[in-house]
Amino acid sequence: MDNVNYNRKINFGWLFKMAVRDSRRNRARLLLFISSIVFGIAALVAIYSFKYNIQNDINAQAATLIGADLSINGNKEPDKKLQTLLDSIGSERSEERSFASMIYFTRTKGTRLVNIKALKGAFPYYGSLETTPLQAGADFKTGKYALVDKTLMLQFNARVNDSIKIGNATFVIAGILNKAPGQTGLSSGIAPIVYIPFKYLADTKLIGTGSRINYAYYYKFKPGFDVEKLAKKIDPALDKADYGSDTVENRKENTGRSFGDLSRFLSLVGFIALLLGCVGVASAINIYIREKIASIAIMRCMGVKASEAFLIYLIQITGIGLIGSVAGAILGTSIQHLLPYVLKDFLQITISVQISWMAIWQGIGLGIIISVLFALLPLINIRNISPLNTLRMSFEETATKRDPFRWLVYLLVVLFVVGFSYLQLNDWIGAVVFTIGILVAFLILTAIAWLLIRFTRVLIMSSWSYIWRQGFANLYRPNNQTIILTVSIGLSTAFICTLFLVQQLLISQVSLSSSGNQSNMILFDIQNSQEKALAELTRKQGLPVLSQVPIITMRLDRVNGKTAADAKKDSTLHISPRAFAWEYRVTYRDSLTNSEQISSGKFIGKAEPGKDIPVSAEERFAKRINVKVGDKLIFNVQGVMMNAYVSSIRKVNWNKVQTNFQVVFPAGVLEDAPQFHVLLTHVPSQPVSAKYQQAVVQSFPNVSIIDLGLVLTVLDELLDKIGYVIKFMSGFSIITGIIVLISSVRISKYQRIKESVLLRTMGASRGQIFSITALEYLFLGTLSALTGIVIAIASSWLLAKYTFDMPYNVNLWPVAAIFFAITFLTVIIGLLNSRGILNKPPLEVLRSNA
Amino acid sequence: MKHLFRITSVLVLTLFLTACGGDKKPAQSDSTSTGTAAAGKPKKVILFFGDSLTAGYGLDDATQAFPGVVQTKIDSAKLPYIIINGGLSGETSAGGRSRIDWLLKQQPFDIFVLELGANDGLRGLPVADTEKNLQAIIDKVKAKYPQAKLVMLGMQVPTNMGAAYSSDFKNIFPELATKNKMTLVPFLLQGVGGVRKLNQADGIHPTEEGAKILGANVWEKLKEIL
Repeated sequence: MDNVNYNRKINFGWLFKMAVRDSRRNRARLLLFISSIVFGIAALVAIYSFKYNIQNDINAQAATLIGADLSINGNKEPDKKLQTLLDSIGSERSEERSFASMIYFTRTKGTRLVNIKALKGAFPYYGSLETTPLQAGADFKTGKYALVDKTLMLQFNARVNDSIKIGNATFVIAGILNKAPGQTGLSSGIAPIVYIPFKYLADTKLIGTGSRINYAYYYKFKPGFDVEKLAKKIDPALDKADYGSDTVENRKENTGRSFGDLSRFLSLVGFIALLLGCVGVASAINIYIREKIASIAIMRCMGVKASEAFLIYLIQITGIGLIGSVAGAILGTSIQHLLPYVLKDFLQITISVQISWMAIWQGIGLGIIISVLFALLPLINIRNISPLNTLRMSFEETATKRDPFRWLVYLLVVLFVVGFSYLQLNDWIGAVVFTIGILVAFLILTAIAWLLIRFTRVLIMSSWSYIWRQGFANLYRPNNQTIILTVSIGLSTAFICTLFLVQQLLISQVSLSSSGNQSNMILFDIQNSQEKALAELTRKQGLPVLSQVPIITMRLDRVNGKTAADAKKDSTLHISPRAFAWEYRVTYRDSLTNSEQISSGKFIGKAEPGKDIPVSAEERFAKRINVKVGDKLIFNVQGVMMNAYVSSIRKVNWNKVQTNFQVVFPAGVLEDAPQFHVLLTHVPSQPVSAKYQQAVVQSFPNVSIIDLGLVLTVLDELLDKIGYVIKFMSGFSIITGIIVLISSVRISKYQRIKESVLLRTMGASRGQIFSITALEYLFLGTLSALTGIVIAIASSWLLAKYTFDMPYNVNLWPVAAIFFAITFLTVIIGLLNSRGILNKPPLEVLRSNA
Repeated sequence: MKHLFRITSVLVLTLFLTACGGDKKPAQSDSTSTGTAAAGKPKKVILFFGDSLTAGYGLDDATQAFPGVVQTKIDSAKLPYIIINGGLSGETSAGGRSRIDWLLKQQPFDIFVLELGANDGLRGLPVADTEKNLQAIIDKVKAKYPQAKLVMLGMQVPTNMGAAYSSDFKNIFPELATKNKMTLVPFLLQGVGGVRKLNQADGIHPTEEGAKILGANVWEKLKEIL
């Protein structure tokens, strides 16, 4: 040994050989460790693949909201300059003229106001004109054909091949229009749509002086083209010409926050997938290295340098990480491909399955990085393992906490998490906050585990039964797994539970309009004399009168004695001058509806004659005109001044399609004022809608009907999809979380072997060992699941408040179920881990596992 | 997701407003006096009963709407008349039929100017119904104030509604005027309708300049009966 050259060069070939040799010792055990990495990375890859695919799907569907990449529209003929601009952009263009007109059904002799759309070009580029028969959507441009809205066809009892007269021209109905992209806008709300080919537009002779025409231009761009940038660039020119533009992004924003919520949710899922990967890989690596200490000490005895030992294991871990990650990526991808297939009967949406190389590379890269990074912590301890450890057995923590490298590794881990979160969130502050959140969770769990160790040591009393003492003592004895298991069970529970709670929050926001009895048809301009008769007609048709409210138009004249002129002059009054310019649609009633809630004051349902009128103001309206309960308002009700005061301020739930009001008057003052009524109903299907509309138009020709069915169906479909995606992704991630949790508990299989075998050789019965193990895991499971859940509740509250900006209303009962399930799982896996020891003779176990 | 529904409900409300004549700019729809009330002897009252054209939808001030323009002309001619603007954006003939009771109760008048029907036309409502409603309004006015002089302002719909509907619609106004012995302004929007420059961005509501021409159209016939 004297002639060992300690300055010898690093021989990589030998190091590799050693790394392989060492792994050979116990392949079964290695497999268990790798499996933990595999599950972690599989979770990550599968979640990412789904995420990318789903994002593409949703984006594709969002594109059908407008049917093109960009639409430009205005209500006058473009001038030369604008025309040049319009002709210069896009790789494909379509042109549309739309206007209101009366059409005449020649066979059934009906006349009806419709929205004519004359189309040229291949629009829609995304989605299609869904027609019956199918090919009509594309074929109608070949001749003098028209596509007619389905409800309209039903209403006038028209059939395909009937002819309709539009202006001076006659068209043959080529097909029934069921759905068209870009129809979610309200333009389609009032009048049903009829498509005709552009080239026959002139034949109608409807275009001329005094015509009101909308001009729309639709563009498709090559993939990858930055439409947003272009839209921004041409905006001033369009503005000048009184034109406007619309892009998919734009429409997504305007469609509401659901798209934003979804992408935030997917980022959260991605982040959690990463952390699940970390938990899976890190817990495996950590225990793996700790078990290697004895071997390392022996190698050191044989003259292996500390740095060489370090490198041997670094190589081995990298190898294991690589194998695990590749296997994980394969597993994750196959899950992604198999799952939709297996679940196809349950899934109400189609998720496209494409191999996402992005997800795979990220998974493999992350797998190796995480393996190495988390291996570094125990690995730097290797440098401090002295040959003496062979004799001492590795009871004591070999590393000193002051090792500066340790802090370097911590820093690296934190940097990694921050960097990666940034990639997910695209926001440094968010990334840092998320990382700090995780750190806090980690520290809380570690602290809990540490306290547990301290307390049990003090707590155990010799008066307890043997089994209880052993079970508890396992928590602090050398080689204990308290910290690592508490952290991994606790973190997994926290992730699972957070996802569950956030999912609950998001889903509760999706209340579907077409489902149940939400209104999807609005009738307005109903006169006083028609109110009762119309309600009766509605009921006779078997439709519900969901709400019927009187509406009075009025204007605000004074707020606390201040007029519009005062508000304009003195901005310190904080009264928006526009509040005076508005025409308010006001109703009167004696009670609140179920979508309203008083936030201050008291709702007074009846006005006393001769006194100021107690009115209820909506929260934001009250803010806009800066009034509190008791403040005086004067309303100008079509020439009559009415003195009122704010008796209450209301919160209004705008979630549903219903009539909501900024100002509500009490009963007893406005009954005689000029008013019209609005009626909301729910029509279950298009034929019913058509029949009902026909009946209403016949008896009450002045009543206008808006069938929101078409608009709401498109929105519902999208919402439905988003809702399912959220449920699916959270369900899937929760399941992977559980698998990662199982595998990280499973890792502890070999921790307890020696003790159990020793106990058995000393004569402990199987029942005793069983109970001891059960107690240990029960305690660990309960405490860490509980801590994890508390962390989850806190984190989901924070997420709700700061990320999703929604009220925190969650049902905590399922959380209790999660708690019991996780505790139960932990105990079961713990017991399964020791099953081998219980069923086999002690020596056999020792021989194969030592 | 909540916002989606807020959008939907806002969209519903927007529909109301657009259908009723507008939400972009405030309408000046009060029926308060738009004239300067000169002190001294009592003046005779002219009530303009109409829709957004009367109310001056989209204009900065109700006095800029055509009844205001007419008031200026009355003032400069030193005639003892004051105009009440009874315009309401989005009013249809059926709406006016109910609303007239409120005004008949409120405000005595000497001359009644009827400007309704445009919204019926834009919605493609049956011409016969519009005619029936307008007749009912005239009947109510006659019953309450048999001495009042009546003026009818004619209206037309955009060309794109189709020739048959357009001509039927256009004919209501002279027919009713003759039948009820009213003074007729053949087409209120004469010289303004369809002229881009004189209309607001929506293409149907006149600008301040346009309203001046409307005022002149009305003044030409109105001055004969003052």
